[in-house]
Amino acid sequence: MIVAEQKSVEEIRRVIAPYDTVLLLGCGTCVTVCGAGGEREVSFLSSALRVAQTKSSDAIHSLVEYTVKRQCDFEFLHVLVDRVKEVDAILSLGCGIGVQVVAERFSEIPVLPGVNTSFMGMTKEWGVWDERCTACGDCRLAETAGICPITRCTKGILNGPCAGTKNGKCEANKEMDCAWVLIYKRLEKLQELEKIRRYYPPRNFRVIPRPRRIVVKAGSEPGEDNG
Amino acid sequence: MPGNEPEIRSALADGTIENHRPRRIKGASDKHTLTPPCQAACPLHMEIGRYVDLVAQGKVLEALQVIRDGNPFPSICAYVCTHPCEDACRRNQVDKPIAIRALKRFAVEFGGDRMIQLEAETTHTEKVAVVGSGPAGLACAYYLRKLGYPVTVFEAYSELGGMLRVGIPQYRLPREVVDTEVQRLIHMGVEIKANTRIISLDLLLDMGYKAVFITVGAHQSIRMGIPGEDSPGVIDGATFLREVNLGLRPSLGEGVGIVGGGNVAMDAARAAVRLGANNVSILYRRSRTEMPASPDEIEQASEEGVKTMFLVAPTKVKRENGRLSVTCVQMELGEMDAGGRRRPVPIEGSEFDMQFDTLITAIGQAPQLSEDFRLRIGRGSTIEIDPVTLTTSRTGVFAGGDAVTGPATVTQALASGRQAASRIDDYLRHRYPLASREAEESSLGELFPKTIEMIRRVERLEPPFLSPEARVKEFDAVELIYDWEAAVNEARRCLRCGMGAEILFQDKCATCLTCLRVCPYHVPYLDDGGTIQIPAEQCQACGICVAECPAKAIVLRKPYDRRHIEAELEHVLKSAAELKSRTLIVGFCCQYGLFGTGALASLWREGKAGIWIVPVLCVAKLEERHLLRAFEMGAEGVFIAGCGDQCSRENTAFWVLQRVDRTRRALSQIGLEPERLQTFNLRSAKEDVAEALDNFTQQIAGLCLASIVEQEVKS
Repeated sequence: MIVAEQKSVEEIRRVIAPYDTVLLLGCGTCVTVCGAGGEREVSFLSSALRVAQTKSSDAIHSLVEYTVKRQCDFEFLHVLVDRVKEVDAILSLGCGIGVQVVAERFSEIPVLPGVNTSFMGMTKEWGVWDERCTACGDCRLAETAGICPITRCTKGILNGPCAGTKNGKCEANKEMDCAWVLIYKRLEKLQELEKIRRYYPPRNFRVIPRPRRIVVKAGSEPGEDNG
Repeated sequence: MPGNEPEIRSALADGTIENHRPRRIKGASDKHTLTPPCQAACPLHMEIGRYVDLVAQGKVLEALQVIRDGNPFPSICAYVCTHPCEDACRRNQVDKPIAIRALKRFAVEFGGDRMIQLEAETTHTEKVAVVGSGPAGLACAYYLRKLGYPVTVFEAYSELGGMLRVGIPQYRLPREVVDTEVQRLIHMGVEIKANTRIISLDLLLDMGYKAVFITVGAHQSIRMGIPGEDSPGVIDGATFLREVNLGLRPSLGEGVGIVGGGNVAMDAARAAVRLGANNVSILYRRSRTEMPASPDEIEQASEEGVKTMFLVAPTKVKRENGRLSVTCVQMELGEMDAGGRRRPVPIEGSEFDMQFDTLITAIGQAPQLSEDFRLRIGRGSTIEIDPVTLTTSRTGVFAGGDAVTGPATVTQALASGRQAASRIDDYLRHRYPLASREAEESSLGELFPKTIEMIRRVERLEPPFLSPEARVKEFDAVELIYDWEAAVNEARRCLRCGMGAEILFQDKCATCLTCLRVCPYHVPYLDDGGTIQIPAEQCQACGICVAECPAKAIVLRKPYDRRHIEAELEHVLKSAAELKSRTLIVGFCCQYGLFGTGALASLWREGKAGIWIVPVLCVAKLEERHLLRAFEMGAEGVFIAGCGDQCSRENTAFWVLQRVDRTRRALSQIGLEPERLQTFNLRSAKEDVAEALDNFTQQIAGLCLASIVEQEVKS
């Protein structure tokens, strides 16, 4: 799941300042789950913006709230066609993908981001989210006991642990587990410690030409017209 | 679904698909709530959950309204109902049931039930005769009158009420209560013919009555069938109670024996104590567990000095020297009988003699019907009726109450009278009997053990009673009424069965599992298909998941619960705007605590300048948008006051503080001081809310002044 964080009300006020009517657009998938841009957050943001307006004598915006099921597909945005005609800008609370898809679909009006898209991760407990994947495109989890060193080791090294590990914690953050110690313990449990006794050559960063595209349908060449 | 309904139904029946949705109340105004067990157990199907909740909010008049909607004579039930609802109450699985009857008594007394006057208009011409003025007859007359029929009630005795008058002693049901109800019926236009024993139905029908409701009760005591039963000094329970209740004080002597273990035996024993007998013994042939009398009665009788001898049965009575010598035999319990109780078997050679001045027999009663009624009689001399139409073997003649069921409770009789009224209405209007609400059952099963574990234990508050010493002297009412605080606190214990949260918008649900993670009672779960389920029968309606759901897919089942904070808040903001009040402070206060603790009640009454209170039914239901809305509408400060450790819920303070924290963060990003939002009395009730609020008011005044100065300087 994509994890994001709502931008501060202060920043949002700044970006919407030039526009009279703003559509606050939530997304009902990942950002709903991580409590950054679902219907509840749209309503919270809208309330907070209205408070800000009454407490200062700044420009008065008129705010429209709406939440689609998913912003990252054009089909879900179709319901917005008429609403968009009435507004001067869209503040999307979707992830970075959502913002771009909305912008592409409604090219005639400004689309602004309302959240900072942070990482791909999981819910640790209510109100706590942890990063788990960097989308490096070259998955090594088979060798590392299902624990990603690229994401969870601060240095992202492939042959760990480094000398900075202490009591199972990372030198960069004493609260944070050392990913390589976790890998070692889990390999030990799986009786696969030989996997850590190998040397892994550096990753080839050149395998990731951006932006990436995956094509599974037959009969088309990858790499054309991407973006 | 209508198209393939038959298939779905058959699939449900054979278990091919599972029905996740428990059954809902048919025809009820609120389609989303489920029938709670108390309501299903009540013969009258009263909306108990609703009125208990209204008492908890201190809304006594509204509670009385709900009670009156479901019960023709709530004052009577408030005294004598055997409260099957309390036996069904699921709080039994946690600690003790809600004291529902005592709460009804509170609502009836504090709501002023006896002041209510009813009117009824005659809209039909068909006259209906009600034979017998017991609870079933009076209830039938009441409802028929409300439907617009001219009704005449015939009563053989001089006073109305049947068993209410001649069966139930005054200390359990004061006579004024029955008088009030009778007066109300007369006011509604019911014609009363007392001292009129009906001996022939033909005569009644000849007099122009189009329908007759026979409800003559079961006044005839069953005989023991032992030698010497007719000796002077032996009296049957029904006759004894009738004499006592009609104002006679029969002389009993010192030693009184009562035979039987039902409520009539208890009433007779306790009446005997009040008449001065100081050695009263109950002889019962089974053991205490089999005793049919209500446990409260047994308890209170024993407090008043009544002794009970178990596994004892009289076999012979002899009168010697002005006293009774009663030969008894010891019993033991044998095989189960058809009624599921163990059959008592005499132990041979265990006979012994006891001496009494008076022996009262109370081993059961049966109806006594005039031969000339020419009705088909069934088991135990009761009238046979059709269970759906309630008609007897004669056209236009209906029957109900004890005369049909044998001795039963007042509430059952009221239900039977109400049902008869609607069946008679169907008959006179030539309608096919409409499906009745009576047939419905609660689909709510047991609570999950892990849910029970999380429900806070709150002791049941009993209403006060007269001391045993005070009550044995006279026939005054034994049970007193709750005070306001006790009633509110007792009503708050209700688990609100079937009124909880539901995922109303499955398409919005992102299956984020927030509800599963935040529920203090471990109610939501993820089914095997990956869909989140909130089992309605488990939910405790705390509202935390509703406020936390990021997709806003969850709502509370009761429409009132869904909107009440918004409605109250908007009302307050509108009133404040009309008064052009300055330095407006909005306080969201726990409404239960508001009335329960009394601490906030004074704030409410004083209505301090610029402080506006929004009553909230548990502060855990408050959302950030409510707090922000108050600021948006000009509030300079907002506070939340809970009910402290009186809260009957778990985790309330935690969730309030989460939302306060989020809101404060937003406030500071806007440039408002986070101190403008405060909480009082969240975890303990020790805080002096009035003082804390004074400080808060001053602080807000200071902040306002500072911002005015700042603006002046800027300009």
